[in-house]
Amino acid sequence: MGDFMIQIEHLHKTYRSGFLMKPKLALKDVSFNVESGQVYGFIGPNGAGKSTTIKVLTGLLNFDSGKVLVNGISPRDVKSRRFIGYSPEQPYFYDYLTGRELLKFYGRLVGLDGELLNSRIQWALELLHADKDWIDRRLRSYSKGMMQRVGIAQAVLAKPKLLILDEPMSGLDPMGRRDVREAIQELNRDGVTIFYSSHLLSDVESISHRVAMIVDGKIVREGSIDEITESCGVEYHVRTRTAILQNDLPEGVAPTGHPQEWVCADDAARDRLLTFCLSNGIAVEKMEHKRPSLEDILTEEIARADA
Amino acid sequence: MQTLKHIGIIALNTFRESIRDKILYNIVLLAIGLALFSIVLGEWSVFDRAYVIKSTTLTVMNLSCLLISIFVGISLVQKEIQRRTVLTLLSKPISRASFVIGKYFGLLAVVAVHLVLLTGVYYVILFLTKAEPTLYLLTAIYLIFCEMAIVIAVALLFSSFSSTVLSALFTMGVYLAGHLSDELLEQVRFANRMGEMGDASSAILEKIAVALHAVFPGLYRFNISSYVVHGLALPDLYLLWNSLYALGYVCVFLGVASWWFSRRDFL
Repeated sequence: MGDFMIQIEHLHKTYRSGFLMKPKLALKDVSFNVESGQVYGFIGPNGAGKSTTIKVLTGLLNFDSGKVLVNGISPRDVKSRRFIGYSPEQPYFYDYLTGRELLKFYGRLVGLDGELLNSRIQWALELLHADKDWIDRRLRSYSKGMMQRVGIAQAVLAKPKLLILDEPMSGLDPMGRRDVREAIQELNRDGVTIFYSSHLLSDVESISHRVAMIVDGKIVREGSIDEITESCGVEYHVRTRTAILQNDLPEGVAPTGHPQEWVCADDAARDRLLTFCLSNGIAVEKMEHKRPSLEDILTEEIARADA
Repeated sequence: MQTLKHIGIIALNTFRESIRDKILYNIVLLAIGLALFSIVLGEWSVFDRAYVIKSTTLTVMNLSCLLISIFVGISLVQKEIQRRTVLTLLSKPISRASFVIGKYFGLLAVVAVHLVLLTGVYYVILFLTKAEPTLYLLTAIYLIFCEMAIVIAVALLFSSFSSTVLSALFTMGVYLAGHLSDELLEQVRFANRMGEMGDASSAILEKIAVALHAVFPGLYRFNISSYVVHGLALPDLYLLWNSLYALGYVCVFLGVASWWFSRRDFL
């Protein structure tokens, strides 16, 4: 096990709103760790607490109780932000600046200057495929996708150890999503730990080493994609050349909508069906190992929380 | 060193942002217009023409700086929060105090440039109207700058925890209280001496007046237009003591603003 880039233990956060400062618990006993060098996906429905957790990590929000460490330093300490690059959800910037001027501004704030600053800007723009004419136009003319690329570019300028991205793929077209995915993977190959939230679960499944699922302020699942999906049970879909009478079906095997296709609830049911087919001379055309997707599991968890 | 650099970068950005603000240009043009109008007032007035031009223009300088501090200054922090640019900025290794102080110096620079511009207009008017342009007038302009240094700090303090409208009202309140607190105390003491109030009420009123005088910055100290316009000498070390007085208040207000800002959540 490597060292931890992010450590969160028993984190609680309450928002107070309205004239009477009515409390609302946004994070309830949240705990998880992110090892250095991982790509860590943070998923959940809207309002579940993803952005709140991210803002606690970046020092933008205070928290009630618990322990939060970023590279071993509390986010309440300004020093913790020396290791972090952060791009907020739907980033907004000073729209009277051009994209390049904005990157220069943020670059200077993280201690870059002169030729080093220019070369870093060039590197970040190439990484995000943003080295285009529009980068020298004022930000007020930018589309959401352009803004998102500039947002991530400013986050990587200092070559941080930890890159925190809040919905980095929202507002991007398929090409943009692919570019951001590739940028994340390239940075990760260079040793950068990536912690990001996303609604696009197919992207999360394709690039994350581990995932935490948050619903209603609580972590409901945490682990690698395999660990999470296998913990929810695995199904087998078997297609035979001829039909089987429903009364003859072994225990744990059920018909699907297709007349010659059957679903086995577990390994034992699969074995019983295969034995049945062999002993009755029924040819098996295809067998698929199916496990629930992150989307299926998230939907189930949301339904459970609502209930 | 790094902190000073951060303050400088934020101040420069604030300055660049402010000078794009249309409100600023409206205030500057209005101030120049009113300064020019002082020539007409000088002609119409029964008082000495030079006196009217000099004192009117100094008042215009003071009020236009106040308007810039309130309408440009207060919106600076609120805009950062509402447009959420503050999220990216404060996720960098910058202390919130550096952010507040950077904003402060950015706006102070805007006010300084405005004052330099108006001073130029002021001296041109004085030369053209042969109204005895002396360098002594610069003393009054310097103290307007000191006064605005306090007012901007007050504006930033209020905008660190309240809305734009409330911050504007509070800042205006402090400005008025700062100018009237001395007068109020004098009036209450005079009334007491004259026996115009009952014992109990006079004691309470005097305590209130003393408290207001002590709590609010004495902005009346920075209004020396009657001295400079008439060419009267100021007390010894007046500029030094009042510069230190302004610096003290600025440090306190910025310290409280930074402390409050550092406790804020940014959603």
